[in-house]
Amino acid sequence: MEADLQTHVAFYLTGKKLSTHLDALDGLGLRPALFAGYRDLTHLRYDFPLVLVAERPDGTFVEPLSGLIDGILDRVAQGVDGERIRKHVLRLEQEIRVRVASGSSGLFSALWDQAAAPLGKADRAIAESLSLARANLKIDGEVIDCNAALPFHLFGHAWSIKQGQRARQFSQDIERLVLKLSDIIKADFVNSDAGKSAENLKASFGTGPLDNFDFEAMSRILTKSSPRQNLSDTRRRRVTNLLATLHAQKFFRTAETDTGETYSFAFDSCIAALAAYRERLPRLIELARAMAIAELEIKGEYNESKHDLLFDSFGENGLEASDLSLFPDYLVRLNAAGMTGPEQNTLTEILSVDLPIKIVVQTDDVIEESPLGNGHLAFALRSRQLASMAMGMNGVFVLQSPASNLYQVRQQIQRGLDYSGPALFSVFSGAATGSGELPPYLIAAAALESRVFPSFTFDPAAGRDWASRFSLDTNPQAALDWPLREFAYEDEKHQSVAQQTPFTLIDFVACDARYSKHFARVPRTRWNGTLTPVGETVARAERGPLDSVPCLMMVDPENRLQKVIVDEKLIREARRCRDMWNSLQELGGINNSHAERLLARENEIREASVQTAGEAPASASAVLAAPVTATPVAPPAEQEAERSPDEAYIETARCSTCNECTQINNKMFAYDGNKQAYIADLNAGTYAQLVEAAESCQVSIIHPGKPRNPNEAGLEELLKRAEVFI
Amino acid sequence: MNCSATDCLLELYDEQHELEDYQSGVPRWCTDCGDNAILAAVQRLCRDEGLRPEKTVFVSGIGCSSRFPHYMKTYGFHGIHGRALPIAEGVKMVRPDLTVFVNTGDGDCCSIGAAHWIHAIRYNMNLTVFLHDNQIYGLTKKQASPTSPIGTKSNTTPRGSYLDALNPLSVTLGVANASFVAQAVDWIPESLFEIVKAAYHHKGLSFVRILQRCPEWLPKSLDPWMQDPDRIQLLHHENALHLSAGLAKTYRNQLLHDPLDMNRAREIASSEDVIPVGILYQNRDIPRYEETRQTGVLRTTETVRKGFEAELDKYTV
Repeated sequence: MEADLQTHVAFYLTGKKLSTHLDALDGLGLRPALFAGYRDLTHLRYDFPLVLVAERPDGTFVEPLSGLIDGILDRVAQGVDGERIRKHVLRLEQEIRVRVASGSSGLFSALWDQAAAPLGKADRAIAESLSLARANLKIDGEVIDCNAALPFHLFGHAWSIKQGQRARQFSQDIERLVLKLSDIIKADFVNSDAGKSAENLKASFGTGPLDNFDFEAMSRILTKSSPRQNLSDTRRRRVTNLLATLHAQKFFRTAETDTGETYSFAFDSCIAALAAYRERLPRLIELARAMAIAELEIKGEYNESKHDLLFDSFGENGLEASDLSLFPDYLVRLNAAGMTGPEQNTLTEILSVDLPIKIVVQTDDVIEESPLGNGHLAFALRSRQLASMAMGMNGVFVLQSPASNLYQVRQQIQRGLDYSGPALFSVFSGAATGSGELPPYLIAAAALESRVFPSFTFDPAAGRDWASRFSLDTNPQAALDWPLREFAYEDEKHQSVAQQTPFTLIDFVACDARYSKHFARVPRTRWNGTLTPVGETVARAERGPLDSVPCLMMVDPENRLQKVIVDEKLIREARRCRDMWNSLQELGGINNSHAERLLARENEIREASVQTAGEAPASASAVLAAPVTATPVAPPAEQEAERSPDEAYIETARCSTCNECTQINNKMFAYDGNKQAYIADLNAGTYAQLVEAAESCQVSIIHPGKPRNPNEAGLEELLKRAEVFI
Repeated sequence: MNCSATDCLLELYDEQHELEDYQSGVPRWCTDCGDNAILAAVQRLCRDEGLRPEKTVFVSGIGCSSRFPHYMKTYGFHGIHGRALPIAEGVKMVRPDLTVFVNTGDGDCCSIGAAHWIHAIRYNMNLTVFLHDNQIYGLTKKQASPTSPIGTKSNTTPRGSYLDALNPLSVTLGVANASFVAQAVDWIPESLFEIVKAAYHHKGLSFVRILQRCPEWLPKSLDPWMQDPDRIQLLHHENALHLSAGLAKTYRNQLLHDPLDMNRAREIASSEDVIPVGILYQNRDIPRYEETRQTGVLRTTETVRKGFEAELDKYTV
């Protein structure tokens, strides 16, 4: 046992197999033990294959095949035959899966027919079931499996739907603007002499007994009676130019577009997309300007003296996101492996400014060797750099997800496409060359499980802080370093054994034949207690005592358990992968070091205050017993100016505009800006009029005061009458 | 379409109007008539809200109050008896961009136009409706109207009217989709203006009953309430009207009332001893007919002709 340990430790430290008791992995066909149950995916019902469905009212653009089949079964698998129909349709579903896995593609309905024909021929009952179900196939679309073509295809499909919606809205806007602008020109013609000519009036009546009308007389009357207010030359020219600009636009196809050709907005290179954007920008600004002016023209609000100058410089500083959102977004689909330096620079340039360009970067290999060579590993760094750089720009929508998870993140994809600024979608296809017989779905899913290619979203539109913007929710067991899965097997004594096993980077690398030299199989006869699970070794902060060697459980093609030891280089890579995941967790609010420190500090303060309170309970109760200050319920009354009873005045704010006082003397009494009465000139009338007005006032707000002219006749009686109003 | 550049430029084109810009002619209403106070409040609203005269319409039926459009320098439609609401609905339907006000009297609205009134409430289109309620037919020289108090002596009821008065607030609150119901009195100009303003800002049909004096035919009818401020009950709430210090000082009978509480609103509407003044009910979530029926289809000449011909084809033999 000691000799074996030494050999194992030597392999662990150097990667060299110094004994014949260690087997190379090449040719053994091993796979991580947790993959034992996934040998044939066509027998499993899971998200894939996907169906890229046409636009639906709820915004769905993709559905899993099994989901659509379930929908059909809900409708048809009823009654006594329900179970039979269900069985037959599920058999057909499996047949479609087999066909798609072997490379067939096409519409769901077409694949259904192809798969149903041989099944139906063999059994009449199956044919009946399938025919019934086929009649309920209402949602169709292209079927696609998880493979290298999936990311571009899926994003292209979602983007096209979004552009279709935008095109419809744009088309409606353009058609409305063209109609309303044309109405301005038409109305001007109708008001012109030509429009009111007998000939034109006759033409406007259509068919019928036209002899009953005297169009000459009608023309004379209309010409004489209607106002002459023709369009000014500048306005006519402006409206005509607007119409020409709207007709000539090439951004979306509309009923009002003159030319058949419209721009294409899907590219396979950032350089080409940016060049096209720059070239089209002047036309885009011209069109946005025309639409803005047209809106003003239609409302009759275009004011040459104010607006000409503003529109002359329209778009000089670029357009705002809300203006750009009327126009198509650009889609760029790139493969990470083919990205050149200039391409990368342009990508950075696009992301750093607020351009409406959506970039999909597909990565096929996430554990490639570092360009430095000499065995340097740079697992997942390329894609990580791209996503981190994009998040660092702060205004870019970022979604990272392996292809296997794309259905789960469909809403996030829509949010990214809806986002007004640039978006980066980084997708790992799982279609790497070194994965041998393992299907891309399994590789992509393993990349997610092993934290090699975590799934996350950074949505700048969701809020201003990281908690609102960043989400790790779509990762399995996101709170842990590695997801724990239950692994159950039968030991040599045929006893069932179940244990929790973490799925780590090492499991992921073990799928790739390129790195088989970092693994060595230990023959069953040499198994001993010094072989410890890799999870435990990776969890250690340092190397520790060399009394055990990390070992990974794998299975051979016959599903027999094998133990494989791992060299330290991979353990270091696994720790690095975990550390990077921990950083992401912090951004996502999991084990956030700032929050934990703050919490510790608050706990200390709380404990200290509890202690203090225990010592002096009287002070705490004193605080509780403190009287609560009453909140004033009504604002304090405004300070009114003290009025002398000798002074004549009106409580203007209470005047109900009844005209009584102004009719008595409209020089003495007048209305203010709110049409409420006040005393405009006391000398403009007599005291008798003041008293009369006070008596007439419906709301009794006129106060006559004391007479100014002591010689006025009948003062004594007037003073008596005025008493009630003072 | 929301084009931010357009919005910004629109703000630049912000004309200031004076009260006089909305005045047209000298009202023929009697001196002391409450219509004058309503006219002043509405003109003040137009000025303060900067309503563009060419984008504003006043629609009325027949009666003293229905002369209102003549005195506004905006678009107006002096309609036929009882039909102010259907005309206003038609205007709003084809020109949702216009601000539409309706001025109708107690005879016009609650008698000959009662059917239209009920359904206008149910349609809840974005209209601001002022019911000028002077409780009498004034233009035709004193006949009892549906809101005349029982016992009102008039040319048609010389021995006094036999029926209890119809309560326009209770009726409106009983119709489905009522979304804004308020009451004002012409002799408290401050609250009248605030209620008119709240009604204008409400999106949906805002129904404001304005109790107004008729100095010619019912001169003393409202005196008990005018002369006793405690018989005016001011409604206030954080989601409705706030009382100014001056108003609160004069009118001490105040009631905190949540405008979403329909049951309480109905109770308040039935008050007889006091006149409740303020917003009785307001629900901003009720859909508006013109929006529910908005198809988004452009009404081009071709669309109209096609629809018209399709209709006629139904009758072609």
